[in-house]
Amino acid sequence: MDNYSNTNRNRRYKAHVSIFGTTQLHLKSPVIVACWSMAFPGFGHLILSKYLRGMLLFVWELFINQRVHLNQAMVYTFIGDIAAAKEVLDTSLLILYIPVYFFAIWDSYRTTVDLNKFYILAERENAPFNSFSIGALEINYLDKRNPLMALFWSLTVPSMGQLYIHRIVLGFFNLIMTVIFVNSSHMLTGIQYLFLGDIVASTASLDAQWLMYIPSFYFFTAYDAYTNTIENNKLFEQEQRYYLKRCYQPPQFTIVKGSKVS
Amino acid sequence: MQVFATFEHSSFVELAITALEEKGVGDMFAVPLDNRRGERNVFDTLHRADGISNVGKGMVLAVVFSVIGASRGFVMAWGPIYWGLIGGVSGFVIGLAIDIWINKVWKKNKRLLRGKNAEIILIVTCEDKQTEMVEALLWEHLAQGLAKIR
Repeated sequence: MDNYSNTNRNRRYKAHVSIFGTTQLHLKSPVIVACWSMAFPGFGHLILSKYLRGMLLFVWELFINQRVHLNQAMVYTFIGDIAAAKEVLDTSLLILYIPVYFFAIWDSYRTTVDLNKFYILAERENAPFNSFSIGALEINYLDKRNPLMALFWSLTVPSMGQLYIHRIVLGFFNLIMTVIFVNSSHMLTGIQYLFLGDIVASTASLDAQWLMYIPSFYFFTAYDAYTNTIENNKLFEQEQRYYLKRCYQPPQFTIVKGSKVS
Repeated sequence: MQVFATFEHSSFVELAITALEEKGVGDMFAVPLDNRRGERNVFDTLHRADGISNVGKGMVLAVVFSVIGASRGFVMAWGPIYWGLIGGVSGFVIGLAIDIWINKVWKKNKRLLRGKNAEIILIVTCEDKQTEMVEALLWEHLAQGLAKIR
């Protein structure tokens, strides 16, 4: 059940609050979005709330990377062992990877530019949108939330920040990916060795191919949760201003011209 | 009697308004304020969001440094986890420093000052005998300031 049903009489809407999350248009820097796509294809689209293509590109990158051992080759390259990098790369699928990688960067950049324009148009049109949604599975509503708490929870276990601000689809996806990455990279084993002070055993226990997904994934989820909390808060304020103006400014209201009493 | 109160944006304003309506006080006027432009903050909080996200460059650099740190960590003394974390933190700090420098020194334009100052004025008309109830109710719902006019 929503508190507003779309009449389809407006041309553009700047937000939609549904059972599965709060989707909104807001101004973003196309360069930052493109940078996220460079870090991991799909991240740029996930920031834009284009979940289906974001997840498609993400899973694509994961599959190809696992097949060609790109992460392992990257580790060897940074170490300076170019021969080992060449050795480990499986070139049969490598060329398949390259166009999609650049497509993800280009597409997320130009989509951000487009959505920024549509944000300005939607803002000018100021069409009413749904701001409360209740159903059998979930409840979602606009509210103010603390961006630093979103950041903190994201930094504990990626996906918690998304759950905090009701980005259910991305929260779900991130939680699954967190478990896969942590499990396959043996990162927790490595951390446990560090607690014991055994750095050599820690390094030896880690799987480089899987471990290298984690830095970009970890910081991306934190960034996504933090910035979207701020944008959701701004949306809440805008919506409340609009509501107060619409419902609580009766023309017959008069101001008492007395004096202040204590 | 008329009671003037100021609020921040939150669901408390709407709780206050509906509670007053339940008590039969329905003559109200709400004015959402445009806020003064002021110095910007490094981090946005629950009460304050100036619309510029400072963590963008920080997070991007954190990823870059963390990936390189973790990769090189496989052959360095402290191992990939420590070097990945060191890379992540230093990348974030460098990015944040660049953002702060750009905004504070280079651009120097003032941003919207939000939060911890009045964002809404609510004016409530009521009968004299209801004044105490209205006043208590507004304070209860986190009014920031309040004045009674007669």
